[in-house]
Amino acid sequence: MIMLSQRREVGEFRKRYKWMALFAIVVFGILFGRLIQLQLLQHDQWSAEAIDNITKTISLPASRGVLRDANGEIVATNRPSYDVFITPQLLIPERDIPLMIELMGLDEEQAQAFMRRLHDVPPPRRTHQIRMFTDITRDQVAAIETHGVELRGVDVVAVPLRTYPFGSLASHAVGYLNEVSAEDIARHPEQGYRAGDRLGRTGIEKHWESYLRGRRGYRRILVDARGRRQRDREGLAATRETVLEPVPGQDFSLSLDMQLMRTIQRAFRGHPSGAAVVVDVRTGQVRALYSKPSYDINEFTAGFSSRRWNELLENPFRPLLDKTVYESYFPGSTFKPISALAALQDGILDPAHRVECIGYYEIGNDRKGCTSVHGDVDMHSAIVQSCNVYFYRLAEEVGLERLNRYAREFGLGRRTGIGINTESRGFLADRQWYEDHFGRYRVGYTLNTAIGQGNTRTTLLQLALAYGAMANGGTLHAPLLVQGIHGADGTLLEEFPPRVRRRLAIDPEHLDYVLRGMRGVVNEPNGTAYDARIAGGVTIAGKTGTAEVQPGGRRHPDPRRAWYFNKSHAWFAGFAPADDPEVAIVVIVEHGGGGGRIAAPIAVRILQEHLGSRSPTASASAAERSH
Amino acid sequence: MALVRTLRDQFDWTLFVATCAIAVLGIVNLYSATSAAGVQSDLHIQQIYWLTLGTGVAVLIVSIDYHHFERNAWVAYGAGLVLLVLVFLLGRSVRGSMRWIPIGGFSLQPSELMKVFLIIALAKYLHNDPKTDGRTLKDLVIPGLILAVPMVLILKQPDLGTAVICALIFGTVMVLTHLKIRSLVTLAIFFGVSAPLSWSYLLEDYQKGRFTAIWARWSGEEIDILDAGWHTQQSLVAIGSGGLTGKGFMRGTQNQFRFLPDQQSDFPFSVWSEEHGFLGAFVLLGLYLFVVIWGLKIASQARDRFGAVVSVGVSAMIFWHAVINLGMVMGMLPVVGLTLPLFSYGGSSVLTVMMGLGLLMNVSMRRFSF
Repeated sequence: MIMLSQRREVGEFRKRYKWMALFAIVVFGILFGRLIQLQLLQHDQWSAEAIDNITKTISLPASRGVLRDANGEIVATNRPSYDVFITPQLLIPERDIPLMIELMGLDEEQAQAFMRRLHDVPPPRRTHQIRMFTDITRDQVAAIETHGVELRGVDVVAVPLRTYPFGSLASHAVGYLNEVSAEDIARHPEQGYRAGDRLGRTGIEKHWESYLRGRRGYRRILVDARGRRQRDREGLAATRETVLEPVPGQDFSLSLDMQLMRTIQRAFRGHPSGAAVVVDVRTGQVRALYSKPSYDINEFTAGFSSRRWNELLENPFRPLLDKTVYESYFPGSTFKPISALAALQDGILDPAHRVECIGYYEIGNDRKGCTSVHGDVDMHSAIVQSCNVYFYRLAEEVGLERLNRYAREFGLGRRTGIGINTESRGFLADRQWYEDHFGRYRVGYTLNTAIGQGNTRTTLLQLALAYGAMANGGTLHAPLLVQGIHGADGTLLEEFPPRVRRRLAIDPEHLDYVLRGMRGVVNEPNGTAYDARIAGGVTIAGKTGTAEVQPGGRRHPDPRRAWYFNKSHAWFAGFAPADDPEVAIVVIVEHGGGGGRIAAPIAVRILQEHLGSRSPTASASAAERSH
Repeated sequence: MALVRTLRDQFDWTLFVATCAIAVLGIVNLYSATSAAGVQSDLHIQQIYWLTLGTGVAVLIVSIDYHHFERNAWVAYGAGLVLLVLVFLLGRSVRGSMRWIPIGGFSLQPSELMKVFLIIALAKYLHNDPKTDGRTLKDLVIPGLILAVPMVLILKQPDLGTAVICALIFGTVMVLTHLKIRSLVTLAIFFGVSAPLSWSYLLEDYQKGRFTAIWARWSGEEIDILDAGWHTQQSLVAIGSGGLTGKGFMRGTQNQFRFLPDQQSDFPFSVWSEEHGFLGAFVLLGLYLFVVIWGLKIASQARDRFGAVVSVGVSAMIFWHAVINLGMVMGMLPVVGLTLPLFSYGGSSVLTVMMGLGLLMNVSMRRFSF
């Protein structure tokens, strides 16, 4: 009886067992499903993550190509910047953080910032090296390295940092680097930039970025969960430690002559604002691109405060502007040789024809002034003395169309193709333009154009190449800033032979005539640059210019200084030696006043020092110095 | 002689082999799990000691007819409660919770043992209270108290995982009984109300964080792998990267390079799956499912209600431990520190499971003797 009743009681439960078993099977079925999902369907994804977990990729930066000038002087190179990387996971905070603060010599504020940054590193990044300090001093390096054994989470890594031995000299042409922004990376993912990389922002550094940067390498090592390096025992990991050596960037030899740049810098002493360009008339190689005031590109590359940036932005002399190719100016009387050639080539004016200058020129009701009363002038003396009246007369015959055509012939109004610093194309105003902007065309505009005071604008580089074309007998060159590109081992990879833009359709005898006039400017007693001449030196030819600035074009906030910015720009454009021209030069002194008085002496001094130093004795002593 | 023959004939070899298989795989796995890069450990040896000790206890349990346990069920239950109280007097705090009583060089975790005592106590109560018609809520008061007293003590430690297991064992056992529909509905309403309340008032922030982390994973949100999700993420990487055949014994990178937290106690399955792949994981899961179903089969054949409830209770204990642990390491359930029976390292855990298996074997062997 007992037995039976017990069986019945147990039996009361029985039908539930099957449901329980079914429940267990279903739940385990779900687990099996999850296993299939994880291990079979998503296997690749998780494998990749597993490999990612244990590999740490250390980037090996490529050293950027070195820039040298025409004489082999280093213009831009790399030096090691000692950066401190910290792996937060490996630190023993209560011991290592105060020690680091002491070794680095941080003040209260810096120490706080350091601790805050360390604290803010998110957990998954804590096993990675985080760059905490850049470019620390030798003393700091030494202090940290003597404690290297204790400070296991602290590494001092030498990272190449761009450095420019010439500082602010040629800074516009050379350009500077700064860190890539998130947008840069997002915009050009294929270029492989990463946060912390620096890339060229202006000048040569920007234009030749892809040649200069080289290719980054990496070292892949195995680490455990705490970021400590592991030996791969028995080939445990599917991935092996690998190294891809970085490929250094290519070295450049520039056509720039830093010796000449120094000379120009000296010659500009006392003038706050201006620019100069020197080109080799035989090849179009650019020997100097000088823009003043300037800034130290080392400062830019190291990264600097917004206060300093604002200082540069607000400086009325516009140091950030490249005044050799980006800015364009009214050429003033430096345009006159082109006007003269237009008249000569098209046979419009006999150069011997004389015009009487009475100090002004009347056209309609308007009276246009001249610099002086020149009396009876022919074309030669008009160039020598820069007589406006003569050129007003000439302009009436030649016309605006022809003036512009010849300006274009000499490369004005079009980019030279130097490639750096968003070159300005300058401007040539035609009849249509005057009608659009001033309601109607008046003949006075043409007269102004002939003396470079119309709306013609030119860059210094354009004008230098134009003068170069006059000097070399009619070949307009494309400017060359780079002479050659070299591999890291010094082999020449690419050469840049002179490129001719155009052979001018101007007869040699006309060129000769104008050139003689320009020679007279410096060498005849009534020439506008005669006072700047250095007797016994290299013979120089050229043309002065005094370009009026548009009144109110640019104002200084301080009215007491406003007068300065209403002063004319002083020009000198020329070439030397006059008999066998080698270089053409253009100098502008912004708001300097008269070209003959202000710009010409600078140009003459530059040319004398530059070409004079190449006399046998001087070059021998230069050779001695360099050895 | 007769006893030996009885043992040989009636011994549940299937249960024995299945559990031995799990234990042996567990030791092998522990060897790998504790030999992670540069760390030498003898945890697998200790686990063998514990298993040996557990086997001794199980043999002792098997050799005594379970009627004796039924008779002394309240004593065992009381002893368990005393141990739980002693935790607060003698215990030491580890990582913010009081779970262990130090005994010599070892430490005992009474909450583990309590699960078995709870099963015995519930079995005793249901054995003596054979109802044929449906139970009302009033009939649940006493079994409810049997659960509640130890559970409160365990929650106090706090040990949420074990408390949850106790509740699940209780729930599973009570499924055996016949509850009236009205009572069921009332219960459902009660839990519906108390769940949000306990979320707000009982759970600590870190515990909530684990739930929300899992919720985020389920709902496919951007997972915050920084805190709560980190361990789960690394476990998933280990399991998923194991693939079909695994990376090989001692060759799991997640394990060897120590990306798995507590790989010997909480995440041994991740190590196993990483090194032995889907095939290995399939075998292990199959073994657990088999043991659970085998336990239910034993229950269905038990000669009395006590035996049936004990068998269901032990099966439920193994089932819920396995499911919660596996669900946790596979990122389906929140991270709670629950062991995988016999597979995880842990003295108290091994002893508890071995006691449970001893009881199961006992019921299985005595199903024919009246």
